[in-house]
Amino acid sequence: MSLLLIGLGLGLAGTAAGALLSPRRRVPAAAVLGSGACVVAFVAAGRALVSGQTSTFRSVELLPLTGVRLSLDPLAALFIVTTAVVGLAALCYGVGYTEGGPRSRTATAMLPAFLTSLLLVPAAASVATFMVAWELMALTSTLLLLVEHRHRAEARDAAQWYGAMTHVGAAAILLGLLLLASRAGGQTFAAIGLRAGAMSPTTRSLAFVLVLVGFASKAGAVPFHVWLPRAHPEAPSPVSALMSAAMVNLGIYGIVRVGDGLLGGGVLWWWLVVVGLGVASALFGALHAAASSDLKRLLAYSTVDNVGLVLIGVGAAGALEVTGHRALAALAMLAALFHLVNHAAFKGCLFLGAGAVQQASGSRDLDRLGGLVHRLPLTALLFGVGALSISALPPFNGFASEWLLLEGLLHGFAAHSAATTTALLAGVAALALTGGLTAAAFVKALGIGFLGQPRTPAAANAREVAPSMLAGMAMLAAPCLLLGIVPGSVVPMLRRAADTGLGDTFARPLRADLGLNLAGFEGAIEPVLLLAAFVGALVVAWASVRLFARRGARRAEAWGCGRELQTARMEYTATSFAEPLQRVFADVLRPDHDLEVTHVAESRYFRQAISYHSRVDDALERTCYRPVIRLVEAWGGFARRAQNGNLHRYLAFGLVALVALLVVLA
Amino acid sequence: MRRLPVLRSLFARRTTEDLPRPSNASGGLRLRGSLQLRHVDAGSCNGCELEITSAFGPHYDAARFGARLVASPRHADGLLVTGVVTRNMAVPLRKTLEAVPRPRVVVACGDCAIDGGVFAGAYGIASGLEAIARPDIQIPGCPPDPTTITDALRGLTGR
Repeated sequence: MSLLLIGLGLGLAGTAAGALLSPRRRVPAAAVLGSGACVVAFVAAGRALVSGQTSTFRSVELLPLTGVRLSLDPLAALFIVTTAVVGLAALCYGVGYTEGGPRSRTATAMLPAFLTSLLLVPAAASVATFMVAWELMALTSTLLLLVEHRHRAEARDAAQWYGAMTHVGAAAILLGLLLLASRAGGQTFAAIGLRAGAMSPTTRSLAFVLVLVGFASKAGAVPFHVWLPRAHPEAPSPVSALMSAAMVNLGIYGIVRVGDGLLGGGVLWWWLVVVGLGVASALFGALHAAASSDLKRLLAYSTVDNVGLVLIGVGAAGALEVTGHRALAALAMLAALFHLVNHAAFKGCLFLGAGAVQQASGSRDLDRLGGLVHRLPLTALLFGVGALSISALPPFNGFASEWLLLEGLLHGFAAHSAATTTALLAGVAALALTGGLTAAAFVKALGIGFLGQPRTPAAANAREVAPSMLAGMAMLAAPCLLLGIVPGSVVPMLRRAADTGLGDTFARPLRADLGLNLAGFEGAIEPVLLLAAFVGALVVAWASVRLFARRGARRAEAWGCGRELQTARMEYTATSFAEPLQRVFADVLRPDHDLEVTHVAESRYFRQAISYHSRVDDALERTCYRPVIRLVEAWGGFARRAQNGNLHRYLAFGLVALVALLVVLA
Repeated sequence: MRRLPVLRSLFARRTTEDLPRPSNASGGLRLRGSLQLRHVDAGSCNGCELEITSAFGPHYDAARFGARLVASPRHADGLLVTGVVTRNMAVPLRKTLEAVPRPRVVVACGDCAIDGGVFAGAYGIASGLEAIARPDIQIPGCPPDPTTITDALRGLTGR
């Protein structure tokens, strides 16, 4: 625990250094102190995860009236470890990242602060501490989102959306936790956990629904996801990576901590709602990811998709726990946490890669990229590792966790309750469909963005990014491969975290120590063997081509119907790649198409110009959020009529109010 | 009966003509059994196209002997070229030829593709087909009738 405190102190020192030192010194100082915070926190949390011990800390002086309470148990430690690794990679990457001009004082100071709050949230053990850490996280991330507001108006818009969503969420969480604290008669998590069983079912359900709304809006689950596809593309890339790979996780953490931990499992329908949220997020996110042509927007929607998968696992675990299948619940929770960790690794790597692409070529629109594999070979390699992982292909980590999740869901069918089985079935179907859609999305990202011919001069002149940026990406690409090859090595730790998450400390029977066993079948998926088979097949294929091919390869122009002038503009684009999917899922995606044809004045047979616009807006945003926004705007407009800026009118208001008051009192 | 084409077709004679096996159907080239061709109109009067359409239609049905017209040279074993090579079509023809995987065959269909036919020496002609690719087989006629085309293709497929 003292180590974790040292880590948090280092993070705050980094903030101070970034805010106070001279421009030349502050960037390295903040980076070094922030990295120190990550390393120390990693060690502290890693020890807790390996030993399974819980340590606590309390201080009355730090926060007036309520004091600070921290607790480091394996569940919290898992999230801290994940955050620390992503944070270290993002800081290392940030050294070379110069997109959006030189770094301002705010950006330098806020990044360590954001990181500290991310490390602090899982360790918080009382309502006050938790809310302070949570709001610190919200505020620092909003400021970081606004760093590039001078260059891009979209950043302001995104920050507004993010601020609104995160504060509605924080209010819901605060209400829920305060309700619990008032009924429990104490604001520490321990007190709430102790007395939650005695509360009325209505109170508990109300509190759970409130915190679920709050945490789901932070996690980016549908229908609270609207801020993600705006905020993630507009934030500087190290911040997008931190948001998507670390901050979003904390939403899941909150659901597990409050639902399973404090409220002790609760009622079946809670978890069926969570599975429902998960299924909706997974499908909606994957569909939009497949349809997006903006690289970072694609990644943001893919985060919605992966959060959905984790929620399916968490919901399944909760439902199985409530119906009394404790071993199966532990398996589902383990799978969900494993996927969450893996998602942090590959999505962090992909966001950093997208930032490298943006810095090198000045664009993140896939339709303006192309051919980057020749210009940025290392970035392409690392981005490729991330893309293969997220597409759940062996031997990468996405495969391991999605396999485990599928296994957990399939075994859940043993729980003979119609509602649970239906929810699990929906989860399996969502997992299968999103698997395919994610693969399509990342074939697009990699194939259109990195292969082919450059579509713009900027893409043709791209140069490989700084070594520190590559090192940052590599720090996250390495776990993608390692966790995929030897998933068995982290299973004991995940199991401790999953058991703590489900609210107990005794070890449950589970056969997932070595490789990934599919219980009920006498086989196991052994990723190392898969890797060996894959490498062997590659060697055989290469050798047989060398031995048996009669002549060398012949290079010919790409077939373009024989037309004489063939340019890169005629290449397959991201939009055209996604068009068939967009057409199939038009009911969900609701794409807008505009085709304008202008004819020359003399004859309608000749066209002067053709313009075509195609946009895929968020249908949920249009149908659920726009009316609310219009309502608020109308209310604001109404209020403005009273506020005309004329001093005489305000004095008249005061006079009328005074007279009214006197009349009422008299 | 006349009003009901469906019923009539039930009792009608077979549409497809029985074609005797031609003497050249030995499969002299390496492409035995099946032949996928991309058709290039290098400047034809469309007479040859009519006959090719007919050769692949239900009556002559060249497809039953293994020959097929495909949409992309990437899928093809060779080209079926009709017409003189006009100036506008010289580059596309060359590019299409380049896009066919090796080994490939080139079939010159009609007198124009073979030696310019009635258009020989006209001002819009770029060169003969010979100058771009030597045809492996030639199908003479202006236009060649569908039987001739089918027989020539059977010479390649060997069926």
